Amino acid sequence: MEGASYQRFPKVKIRELKDDYAKFELRETDASMANALRRVMIAEVPTIAIDLVEIEVNSSVLNDEFIAHRLGLIPLTSERAMSMRFSRDCDACDGDGQCEFCSVEFHLRAKCINDQTLDVTSKDLYSSDHTVVPVDFSDTGSGFENNEDQRGITIVKLRKGQELRLRAIARKGIGKDHAKWSPAATVTFMYEPEIHINEEMMETLSLEEKTSVVESSPTKVFGINPHTQQVEVVDREAYTYDDEVLKKVEAMGKPGLVEIYAKEDSFIFTVESTGAVKASQLVLNAIEVLKQKLDAVRLSEDTVEADDQFGELGAHMRGG
Amino acid sequence: MGVIEDSAMLDDSLQGSEGIDKQFLAAPVKSAVDKFQLLPEFLKVRGLVKQHLESFNYFVRTEIKKIVRANDLVTSRFDPSVYLRYKDVWIGKPSVVVDGVTDSLTPQKCRLSDMTYAAPIFVNIEYCNGSHGHNTHPQFKKDVVIGRMPIMLRSSSCVLYGKDEDELAKLGECPLDPGGYFVVKGNEKVILIQEQLSKNRIIIDTDKKGCIQASVMSSTEMTKSKTIIRMEKEKVYLVLNAFTSKVPIMLVMKAMGMETDQEVVQMLGRDPQYATLLLPSIEDCASIGIYTQQQALDFLEKKRKKSMSRFGKDEGALGVLRDIFIPNIRVRDNNFHLKCVYVVVMLRRMMDAILNKDAMDDKDYIGNKRLELSGQLLALLFEDLFKSMNDQLKFNVDKILAKPSRSSRFDVSQHLLKDSITVGLERSLSTGNWDVSRFKMHRKGMTQIVTRLSFIGAFGSMTKISPQFEKSRKVSGPRALQPSQWGMLCPCDTPEGEACGLVKNLALMTHVTTDEEEGPIISLCTCFGVEDLSLLSGEELHSPSSYLIILNGLILGKHRRPQRFAKVMRELRRAGKVGDFVSIYVNEKQRCVYIASDGGRVCRPLVIADNGISRIKEHHMRELKDGVRNFDSFLREGLIEYLDVNEENNALIALYEGEATHETTHIEIEPFTILGACAGLIPFPHHNQSPRNTYQCAMGKQAMGNIAYNQLCRMDTLIYLLVYPQRPLLTTRTIELVGYDKLGAGQNATVAVMSYSGYDIEDAIVMNKSSLDRGFGRCIVMKKISAAFQKYDNTSDQFSSPRRSQHDAEKTQILDNDGLASPGEIIRHQDIYFQKECPVDPKGSMKSHPSQTPYRTSKQTYKGAEGETAVVDRVALCSDKRNNLTVKFMVRHTRRPEVGDKFSSRHGQKGVCGTIVQQEDFPFSERGICPDLIMNPHGFPSRMTVGKMIELLGSKAGVSCGRFHYGSAFGEPSGHADKVEDISETLVKHGFCYNGKDFLYSGITGMPLQAYIFMGPIYYQKLKHMVLDKMHARGMGPRQLITRQPTEGRSRNGGLRVGEMERDCLIAYGTSNLIYERLMISSDPFEVQVCRKCGLLGYINYQSKTRVCSTCKNGDNISSMKLPYACKLLFQELQSMNIVPRLTLAD
Repeated sequence: MEGASYQRFPKVKIRELKDDYAKFELRETDASMANALRRVMIAEVPTIAIDLVEIEVNSSVLNDEFIAHRLGLIPLTSERAMSMRFSRDCDACDGDGQCEFCSVEFHLRAKCINDQTLDVTSKDLYSSDHTVVPVDFSDTGSGFENNEDQRGITIVKLRKGQELRLRAIARKGIGKDHAKWSPAATVTFMYEPEIHINEEMMETLSLEEKTSVVESSPTKVFGINPHTQQVEVVDREAYTYDDEVLKKVEAMGKPGLVEIYAKEDSFIFTVESTGAVKASQLVLNAIEVLKQKLDAVRLSEDTVEADDQFGELGAHMRGG
Repeated sequence: MGVIEDSAMLDDSLQGSEGIDKQFLAAPVKSAVDKFQLLPEFLKVRGLVKQHLESFNYFVRTEIKKIVRANDLVTSRFDPSVYLRYKDVWIGKPSVVVDGVTDSLTPQKCRLSDMTYAAPIFVNIEYCNGSHGHNTHPQFKKDVVIGRMPIMLRSSSCVLYGKDEDELAKLGECPLDPGGYFVVKGNEKVILIQEQLSKNRIIIDTDKKGCIQASVMSSTEMTKSKTIIRMEKEKVYLVLNAFTSKVPIMLVMKAMGMETDQEVVQMLGRDPQYATLLLPSIEDCASIGIYTQQQALDFLEKKRKKSMSRFGKDEGALGVLRDIFIPNIRVRDNNFHLKCVYVVVMLRRMMDAILNKDAMDDKDYIGNKRLELSGQLLALLFEDLFKSMNDQLKFNVDKILAKPSRSSRFDVSQHLLKDSITVGLERSLSTGNWDVSRFKMHRKGMTQIVTRLSFIGAFGSMTKISPQFEKSRKVSGPRALQPSQWGMLCPCDTPEGEACGLVKNLALMTHVTTDEEEGPIISLCTCFGVEDLSLLSGEELHSPSSYLIILNGLILGKHRRPQRFAKVMRELRRAGKVGDFVSIYVNEKQRCVYIASDGGRVCRPLVIADNGISRIKEHHMRELKDGVRNFDSFLREGLIEYLDVNEENNALIALYEGEATHETTHIEIEPFTILGACAGLIPFPHHNQSPRNTYQCAMGKQAMGNIAYNQLCRMDTLIYLLVYPQRPLLTTRTIELVGYDKLGAGQNATVAVMSYSGYDIEDAIVMNKSSLDRGFGRCIVMKKISAAFQKYDNTSDQFSSPRRSQHDAEKTQILDNDGLASPGEIIRHQDIYFQKECPVDPKGSMKSHPSQTPYRTSKQTYKGAEGETAVVDRVALCSDKRNNLTVKFMVRHTRRPEVGDKFSSRHGQKGVCGTIVQQEDFPFSERGICPDLIMNPHGFPSRMTVGKMIELLGSKAGVSCGRFHYGSAFGEPSGHADKVEDISETLVKHGFCYNGKDFLYSGITGMPLQAYIFMGPIYYQKLKHMVLDKMHARGMGPRQLITRQPTEGRSRNGGLRVGEMERDCLIAYGTSNLIYERLMISSDPFEVQVCRKCGLLGYINYQSKTRVCSTCKNGDNISSMKLPYACKLLFQELQSMNIVPRLTLAD
């Protein structure tokens, strides 16, 4: 490692933490770091999802592939996923992916016997492993209406006489292969905005002009202090970089009244999980995966492999 | 005098307008009543394909009875006492007779088992078997079946008629299906609406040479003929098919008994201009020396075509004049006066056109056109078949009666054949060929299979109007948009290419009339002061003080106060005393009042306004909402009336109530009804460049989605379905009216308008892989494969169970023990899905026992895309017409979008998927919104589809606030489309920028994008064109038999042709070896033996291993060389034609 070190020590400050929601600040790093984290969370944190469906009986209105696709998209609790094996490199089962180390078996048996339509939901899936079950939204208390009818994710509706019987195998996978393995519902970040209000100039404005400045922003960023009648930043992060305020100020002939910059080294992350992994765990797993990836690069740094793997880039990494 | 009074009235009203002005100011402000609610009510009463249903109902209820009544008697030629008379005719309920048992039919049953949805035609007959039997009293028979009539779905004879949603569901029918088509041999066939020039009307136009002519296409129950009166070199002639050449018109007048020229001139009018124009013709006639009726008739007799005697019943020239010359004017007691008057009116109109070119008729004017619908067309066919049946009956009876001795008792009723009508109707419907020799009608392509690609496509085939001209004609006139199309025919929905502008579609509210009785109207007219023509002198005919009254092309007489007359007639119509669809049109230029009650006119409902104030008030609409009223009550109370295109010329129609002035007579119900069902899907079409809407009309029919509620029970040859279809976020009123919101064909995709990756040039779109994983654009393709168990004389095909141990056991895996693939099995390319035992010798010796006949196994293998797996969805067994067992397999294939699949928004913006990109590489907003697809902004400037941008805004506002937004055509003033301003406000309220642009970060770098990105949901359709069905490449493969060149086409695994132009490029580039390789080595190389001496081809004798020239009879000078086989073939073919091609070899 010749040359100047650009090593930095990013700081994380957690703002809000729920089971399936996290909001935190990531400071003292740059966009590449933040984006890498985001990308890994979406695409490379492993989870478990149904991958193989064997249908025994299906007399429902939806066809087999349809049901299989729906089953695949049901999030399963995947705390175990990090330690599980990918079935493609599982040596316990010659890659057919049916052993306990790399797969979880599910069964579903449903038949409608009365005149009412029967909703087959994710609750009807019986798992062979109690740690891997369909995510239950009713007890997380996370924004979902916690009513009695909430019976999980509907798979199919059956009318009298229709039946669905199947065996499903869930495997570990990553979001890159299929979106069903992505643990993230939403991962996004924004640059933290820095808003400067030129107080002196603001003083010159009438109250009406002040309100027009405040209202020019589609989101509630500014407010007028009812006591001091001064324009204040109410919610800095509500700012969506829409430039509306700046345009307004410009149009009023007062450039510089408000100045907004994006802090280039500080990010506000919003992470929502599908429920497969807790949001906090998702971030940690992502860092873990990111580390592993970096390790893989470092391991092959000096070897010939690096040349195979990275070509010219490998030489470059070695300082060539 | 009448005119004076009229103008006085006009003055009156003008003064009145000044007087009312004060009242107007004092009156409360005209509130715009929301008349939209009338539309669903209209559609409830009439349905979306009401024109077809009405026409068919009219045929079944009225016309068929008329036809039978007109031809009700069949009498034997030999014994007049032997006869058969039809007393009554009616159509029963759809049913089929199988093995003597009558079974009721439902349309779904017919679709599934390839039957015809038809009902028996019953007749009551009275017949007499003649004096031979002792019984000379007439005998009666009731409920005799003479054939089976295919029944239009949802017509009054259909089992679905008047059924509600639950009952329809029980019958396996989709409640949203409009009906209006037939099920013939399991295929859904619709009879296209045929556009034609009006019958029995005088049309003034020019012929090819530019001569002005007046022509009448006459059509009566008896005959059809065309009469032309043409001005050629200043002389007027009559052109009629029955005469070998043109005939001077004055001669014809004389032949009809109008011997004095003065009478003609008098009738023509006092104005010397007309007399001057006629003078050369009069001189011409005098110069031939014909002065009397007899002379004229003798002259015409010479010109008469002798073969035409069938209609004229060989009564000479007078017969021709009576029956072929304008036959729509009936001649009673050989009184030709009316015909003379008609001819003079034609002459007068023609001369008007000569004096003033404006008086020419426009052939493309919709008012001069009639639409022929299924009922009329079936009536034609039925009439022909019924007559043929009677002829055949007569022939058969005569044949038997002619025999000197008859063994059995004779019974006329036994000789009624029931097959000819059934078969004739079925054949015409399934082939689309209307061959009615009786009416000289030979038309092809009259029927079409209902397109079931998408729900809206089915609508499209029901409203399609096929043109009268051949498509090859290079004229622009008939293709241009006619102003008179307004509200009647959709201005957007027409195909591109050769049929552009010729094939049209009906608008949403259009109604096509059916025939109405003329009798009552004629007597009404006389009651209201129409002076009968026969009572008028010639002079009075064109007297300037009165107007001619013309009913359906028939001159009734004159009226002195035409405006008053028209007003009274219209009031009667509004009061319901005259049919709703009778039109009264005052043509001031021609000084005529046209009354029309014939079928095939297009018309539409309009709100009546008195002095510009709508008759529909707020309380009417409230009552409608409360269900106290319906559309018919509006009609009955004279709030609404139907106007046809001609009568619209007498009306001043305001678009909105607020725009109405004093002169306004009518107000539109809703402006968006000028569009049809297909164009109605487009949101904000009035913001788009017009051709874009036309493109979308064509593409909406190819979009995948839901077809019908019974889509999974159908056994169509090809079904495309979407896995997760959605209803558009931005809807229109039309969408709700036709039910597109229930059977959508697309998905709401979040679209970012930006460039990305370069794989989005030329309208390609970039798709998000995660969206595809989650089901975006996923579709199901179902194909039907059939197999049959044949029956032979003595034997038949048998079931065969697969032997699992055979070498092809792997291929027969999916077969059940009966040799049929079982539902739910995965089927791959080359798999066997059907296996049966066929007798080796189907003709078979009759004597041998069935168990001893030798059998062989016959298999059918599945040909799908290689590497793709499909699933056997359903297997259905049914018996076909010949009672053979047929097996139908539905094979289902679920596909996710791939690069090259075609997508389109609802604005004629189609594009293929250019690349599929991982979600993490996609741009994202700080809210976490990530688009489903990315569209290149270059798609906008040249297409000018502003509607699409508004759709994006509206949908974005819609998802934010949770209300479906509307974008009906021209809907902003009436509140059926959201205004951009309001949409922006909603957006801002929900924290978006008013212009719909978002601040996005690059998914690849995490840096903010340079520009704000226009992003929001747009309804995207997946079109049926998919790469999987088209992609094709070949290395080695099959060759054609005669030329040994590679086969052509994907289905035959053919090669890709290096054509003439490609070859030219290679020549120009100079790569001779490449040409050599492409055109010979890789195509059809062949080694030939050439004799150096004679230059002809020789051969190798493989037995003696010598090369021989067959011409020289020796093998001395043979060299071998390579040639394309096609070249060798050419040489040999030339030789066979006595041309000797000789090869001269160098070196």
